[in-house]
Amino acid sequence: MKKSKLYPWYFALGAILLYTALCVVPGIIGIGYSFTDWSAYSKEVNFVGLDNFKKVFSADDNYLGYIKNTLLFTGVTTVAKTGLGLLLALALSRNVKAKNFHRGVMYMPSVLSVLIVGLVFTSILNPKTGFLNELLRGIGLESFTQKWLTDPAIAFGSVMGVDIWRGTGYIMTILIVGILAIPNVYYEAASIDGASGFQKFKSITFPMLKPTLAVTIVLNVLYGLKVFDLVYVLTNGGPGHKTEVMYTAVFKQFSQGLYAEGTTISSVMFVFMVIIGFFMIKILTKDEVVE
Amino acid sequence: MKKRIVAVCMILSMTAAVIAGCSNKSGEADNGEKKDSKKGKTISIMASQDWVYDAEMELGKQFEEETGIKVDYQIVPADQYYNLLMTKLNSGEGPDIFGGQSGSFDLVSQYKIQDNAMDLSDQPWVEYYDEFAKEQTSVDGKVYGATFYDTTTDYYIVYNKKLFQENNLEVPKSFSEFESACQTLLDAGITPFYQPVGDGWHHVMWFCEIGGKYEELVPNIVDDLNNNKTTFAETNEFKKVLEQVNGLAQKGYFGDNYLSDEFSDMGTYLGSGEFAMSACKAGAIAEIVAASEGAYTEEDFGFFLYPVLDNDVLNEHPCGPSRFIYSGSENAEEAKQYLEYITKKDSIQSMIDNEPRVENLPYDAGQTPAYSEETEKFLESFDKRGVVFQDSIKYLNPQWMEIGQDMVSMFIEDMTPEQVLKGIDDRRATQAEAAGDEAW
Repeated sequence: MKKSKLYPWYFALGAILLYTALCVVPGIIGIGYSFTDWSAYSKEVNFVGLDNFKKVFSADDNYLGYIKNTLLFTGVTTVAKTGLGLLLALALSRNVKAKNFHRGVMYMPSVLSVLIVGLVFTSILNPKTGFLNELLRGIGLESFTQKWLTDPAIAFGSVMGVDIWRGTGYIMTILIVGILAIPNVYYEAASIDGASGFQKFKSITFPMLKPTLAVTIVLNVLYGLKVFDLVYVLTNGGPGHKTEVMYTAVFKQFSQGLYAEGTTISSVMFVFMVIIGFFMIKILTKDEVVE
Repeated sequence: MKKRIVAVCMILSMTAAVIAGCSNKSGEADNGEKKDSKKGKTISIMASQDWVYDAEMELGKQFEEETGIKVDYQIVPADQYYNLLMTKLNSGEGPDIFGGQSGSFDLVSQYKIQDNAMDLSDQPWVEYYDEFAKEQTSVDGKVYGATFYDTTTDYYIVYNKKLFQENNLEVPKSFSEFESACQTLLDAGITPFYQPVGDGWHHVMWFCEIGGKYEELVPNIVDDLNNNKTTFAETNEFKKVLEQVNGLAQKGYFGDNYLSDEFSDMGTYLGSGEFAMSACKAGAIAEIVAASEGAYTEEDFGFFLYPVLDNDVLNEHPCGPSRFIYSGSENAEEAKQYLEYITKKDSIQSMIDNEPRVENLPYDAGQTPAYSEETEKFLESFDKRGVVFQDSIKYLNPQWMEIGQDMVSMFIEDMTPEQVLKGIDDRRATQAEAAGDEAW
């Protein structure tokens, strides 16, 4: 196996050093600070053991709720974006009319800045003057109008909906590339054998798309666990703390000068992401064949 | 072949666009550079929404004309301002001038003002700066900020006299009378109270503005809270206020959309007659009248105090949004020039004359205040006066937005009043311990 390598390991030394200096070392320092009382209020930094971690996992504080929200956001948006992205990819990888136009339109939202998307949707979802409620009223569906971002029952759903709208096109594009890379001979052979569309999908497309799906799912999960900007712009964690996620909490702790608490939450999230990412790659690439 | 020609054309046009873009940019930079070297620099001012009025921006234009120094106002939504400001200050990327609430104690605990702002004690305007405002923007005898807000009046409940008369209502003298008036208005199809919660700050005033009443009902409460001898959760009056406000929300007196309503729309909604009351500065009546497009005059609106706990003590709020020069500013001299400019007699008078919400500013520069007859009559009608809690209680103002968020949780029944109060106590303890306060 080693003999098949084209380049010696030290060719990667520069990249490893840069990565270590810019990512690994600050990460370790950050984890170190989560065991201290580092804050803006005092110049002294004292070791406080696991106090900050106890606070994060304490039932008295809201953090467990924020962890739950973050996981819910990650789960729902990953499933929805991947599912919808796959359906769109299957539809738009066929010879449909104006497929490039449709692909472009679907991909467009992912090009937009999250901040812009957030501001536009804040306006669209305004209960009094927003386009969505105006539209519903206009077509006689007033009973369907909602306080999209302030009703505690649906605010988080609205935030996830906006993220799904924004991210599906991106997933679709990756999956289209994956689908187009599948050699046509498999489909031709299947057609000769009289396989139906679903059978072709089940036995050819899906298995051969698994590596691509694995990448998109891992990307989505990591994005979901790190979500901040969209929630911040749309609801800022509200109403109350209903849509608060871990990184909006980190931002609030940091801006209050409670640096150690902020780094503690980041450390917890880092561990979460490493564990989840590791197991997901293991599971999703289990049957992958390396040629 | 055809595709290749199209591709070549596109590459050429893109290259041309990039070159044109670069050329234009460098042209701008050159122009800007020439202008800068000739006239001066650009200073940035970051402030929360509603802290910088149009009249001040007008002064900024005049300042630019006179000095060549351009003023870039960066206005941030109120619910995000403090987080954003502190993130910028903590990461060493503050604007030249930043807005912050005065309050000598909070300046240290909330803004780390000795590290983040410059000492302005030697500035000419300090000589005629109101003593109380000076005290509230100073730490250890050094003046760090210039309050540029009308701290001579505070927020009161403004009500539509016409709507009250039409519904045979008197000015409420107790909380039960207030509730009864709200119910009558609601029954008549009028939303009783415009309570903008969307900004995250306005609804907290129900809790903090009645500091004088708390002091009357609970002797030594200010000292006891500041010396950690009691807590908010232990004091029944605080719980009662939260319960009363929550009751107003649950009974629908704030309307259907109060969680997304914003303070900037207050004039429009009161001016339309859709809402009968709200809470605002005395000078804001002119704004409501202007928004009413002739439907109402200033005489159609009056004031009364926040009615929770049957409050009858006039709230005084000597602290207000102030301007501080960032210690890391590269344009400190220009920023000082700006503060000197806006605190001149002519500038102050211009603010009073052109901004309805400013009836006076805390400087004795020889200006003429613009208190309306209604305001003067209202202010003179109280024997009892008390300072609002955000000014008198340590570690309260810094958590204003968090209290607001917890109160919203209470409105949506995610938290109880007891939990809101415990949250306040916990955050006070965290800040006090971090600051090494011996009382904690």
